[in-house]
Amino acid sequence: MSKEVMRRQASDNRYLHKDFHGALSVGLEYLRTHYGDDAVRQYLWQFARAYFTPLSEAIRRRGLVALAEHFDSLYEAEGHPARIELTDDELTVQLEACPAVTHMRRRGYPVSPLFVETTRTVNAAICEDTPFVAELLDYDTQTGRSCQRFRRRQP
Amino acid sequence: MISCTDFIPAYSELFKFLEAQGGVEAVEDFWNYLSDRFLGNLRRLVERHGLRGCWLYWSRTLNEEAADFTMTLDEESQEFTIDMHCCPSMGRLLQLDHLEPYRDYCRHCDVLYRRVLEPLGYRCEVDLSRCHEARCRLVVTPKE
Repeated sequence: MSKEVMRRQASDNRYLHKDFHGALSVGLEYLRTHYGDDAVRQYLWQFARAYFTPLSEAIRRRGLVALAEHFDSLYEAEGHPARIELTDDELTVQLEACPAVTHMRRRGYPVSPLFVETTRTVNAAICEDTPFVAELLDYDTQTGRSCQRFRRRQP
Repeated sequence: MISCTDFIPAYSELFKFLEAQGGVEAVEDFWNYLSDRFLGNLRRLVERHGLRGCWLYWSRTLNEEAADFTMTLDEESQEFTIDMHCCPSMGRLLQLDHLEPYRDYCRHCDVLYRRVLEPLGYRCEVDLSRCHEARCRLVVTPKE
């Protein structure tokens, strides 16, 4: 019989627990099946408005470059770099596959049919009260391949 | 997409949203639902390896979450312990200036893991008395 001890400090590891994508998907499914589709969108909207407040402020202050930096670091950290094209008035983010969907498919976690809203609703909420509007031009539910566009609102 | 590094605030906000919809019962019902659907790997590991299954499960998750912890498996005294010196979840929530953690955030761990371990014949004690400092302690022992 043995005694084993593992001691770790936060700095010993990189913070990247991709199984959290699966937990989020379970959360969306719980909301969808107990409270309906609109509850999923309402929750994601409220979360994004609350949590991404600093990002929305940065977009108002610095323009789409702040959003481009956000996506660049997000997808880089997840190991799926995105193709990002930026002008003063438009930002396009293209993904061959969504890192979250890829991980869930690989690990066998169920992917909520409303998982797309973690892109569509969250992007719209981030852009609310900024000079820009979010559009989801293309989304493949099987892989999460997508094309996201952000452009200046028309007066 | 919400990055997995932004999941914890999303999780905390989900608890707030559920409480607004259906009170504490709705939050607890979700924790039970999540435990049943998401912790199958812990369940399988403990079924197969006994107390060592806890060691195997948390060896992966706590390292991926970059936790500050001491984990002990004492097979002679049949005790598995996690001393969480700085919880990566609560620690992150406490660092956010613009978002308050769900008021009972830390209790989800107690509910989720107890629900898996007790039916398998283990006692699961979670000391959350210092969770406001992102510190806690989990002890798993056989029931008899």
